[in-house]
Amino acid sequence: MKSLAPVAIAIAVLAFLQAATASSEYFVYLSLLVGVNVVLAVSLNVINGMTGQFSIGHAGFMAVGAFSSALVSQQLDQYQLLGFLPAGVGRQLFFFLSLAIGGSLAGLCGFIVGLPSLRLRGDYLAIVTLGFGEIILVVVRNSPTLGGALGLSDTPQHTTFFSVWFAVFVVILFARRLLASPHGRNLVAIREDEVAAEAMGVDTTSYKVRAFVVSSFFAGVAGGLFAHFQSIITPGDSFSFVKSMEIVVMIVAGGLGSTTGAVVAAVVLTLLPEAMRAVFITVGGSNAALAQSIDQLRKPIFGLLLVVMMLTRPQGLFGTHEAWDLFKRKKPT
Amino acid sequence: MSDALLHAKKVSIRFGGLKALSEFELEIRKGDLKGLIGPNGAGKTTAFNVLTGVYLPSEGEVFVCGQKVNGRRPHQINRLGLARTFQNIRLFKELTALDNVRIAVLPERTPLFERTRVEALCRGPYPGRAVGSALDAIDNYRDWWRALLRTNGFLREEEGIERRARELLEVMGLSHRVDELARNLPYGEQRRLEIARALGTRPKVLLLDEPAAGMNTREKADLMVLIRELRTRFELGILVIEHDMKLVMGICEHLTVLDHGETIARGEPAAVRTDPKVVEAYLGEAPAHA
Repeated sequence: MKSLAPVAIAIAVLAFLQAATASSEYFVYLSLLVGVNVVLAVSLNVINGMTGQFSIGHAGFMAVGAFSSALVSQQLDQYQLLGFLPAGVGRQLFFFLSLAIGGSLAGLCGFIVGLPSLRLRGDYLAIVTLGFGEIILVVVRNSPTLGGALGLSDTPQHTTFFSVWFAVFVVILFARRLLASPHGRNLVAIREDEVAAEAMGVDTTSYKVRAFVVSSFFAGVAGGLFAHFQSIITPGDSFSFVKSMEIVVMIVAGGLGSTTGAVVAAVVLTLLPEAMRAVFITVGGSNAALAQSIDQLRKPIFGLLLVVMMLTRPQGLFGTHEAWDLFKRKKPT
Repeated sequence: MSDALLHAKKVSIRFGGLKALSEFELEIRKGDLKGLIGPNGAGKTTAFNVLTGVYLPSEGEVFVCGQKVNGRRPHQINRLGLARTFQNIRLFKELTALDNVRIAVLPERTPLFERTRVEALCRGPYPGRAVGSALDAIDNYRDWWRALLRTNGFLREEEGIERRARELLEVMGLSHRVDELARNLPYGEQRRLEIARALGTRPKVLLLDEPAAGMNTREKADLMVLIRELRTRFELGILVIEHDMKLVMGICEHLTVLDHGETIARGEPAAVRTDPKVVEAYLGEAPAHA
């Protein structure tokens, strides 16, 4: 089938890249961080950018996916169920299973959270998701199964360059094809004018919930990928409100509604602190104390860049445009 | 009432102590072109909102194509064959004219389960209703996958949608604006685009809320011709709210006049125009210079 050709190409390219980059551990580590953030940004863009419903608890859904898939993986690792298969194959199957479970649970949470709040209009979703993000962390801190405040450690490190970037590929393909279908157009209609969309026969509540569930699902998958390369996950910084806002900042900077923008912003904003660190270390040179104090300038500079960006280009880098629109053939009218 | 496409029976609506509409009666059949007029604040748009399901009537019943629609959501009522435009244009401003219409156009797909059966089940008593909504959900789920995998059937549907959207734009004289953003269109064209979008949902009854507002004389004249044409071409029943007396008198075959929520007159335009109550509502009491 023609429509599956991109998948085959992606698999080949990613497998090649994986082999090519395997030697540089630092690069692989960074690429995993970037990839997870791209998945988060693109998925958040589905609900915030395309549908126009503001969710600010994306890290909460990521946490659901991370903790549940880590738990599943640890359990599966204990019982060597697929012992008869070659070790690598069995492991990847389990990994896939745990990611699917993590994503589905996050999606289920999205459904439960979204159903009551998306019936309403306006900013209710923002408040509810904000609450949800905090609730999840409190739940994790207080449940011994999930390791309490210490979190889960010794999660098997299954995540590879390939798995993360394949997830990136899937989520981008999803977002793109969604937007090119009646379903995606209905979501955009809701963003543009909910009353008119409803009058044109769009079941707005149902579409908002679907978009939210899908978005949560991918956040859960991203969480699962994150858990399987960090190995130690705690109910702290990596799933906090700050993380949620970080993702929101990414899609706003990239341009709300633009998948390309979300990808570019996620890559740049993830690498920027790292790049700045490298610069400051070079400037500070041998003087460790100086390097460290300069290093603390990273966050203010980061914030300043965003302020400048919002002043000069409030619609974000890409507005609602997509990179692939440039290649679209112009149809004669 | 059997063959009435839209039928309002003694519909009243109250907001707190204010009676915005009382005992409103209306019947629209295929091929009708009726008008709803009245001074500002008379309840015309309120009547539209009740008919399309935005407001729930406090009393009375509304039927669309023989089905009672009290309490149904606007999108459900739209699917029964009632489409509308808005007084204060509500286009999808950041989208192109083509996309505006495409959103409204329903794909002609062959669902897994027969639509009418599923819908009948959904309306029925409890156990059947659950089955109905389950079947509906399965169909929906399948459709998402078709869209994501871009199956051949899906691509054909998309082509069909686009073809129909372009057709409608052409009918409304907007073919030269297909790829233009809705917000960049001139006012009159925005109004026409709204009508094209409403037609996309394949309505049986079209409700136009002040379609000529903000248009110049020339555009108004064109619009009058166009509305008549639409009625025959799409076999519609049309209800128009309008301030412009000339336009209303020119095209409508039947008028209902509202004032303060009360129906003060109804009948042929010529008769309504001379009705003392109507004159009073529009010009004030006892003509001073007469």
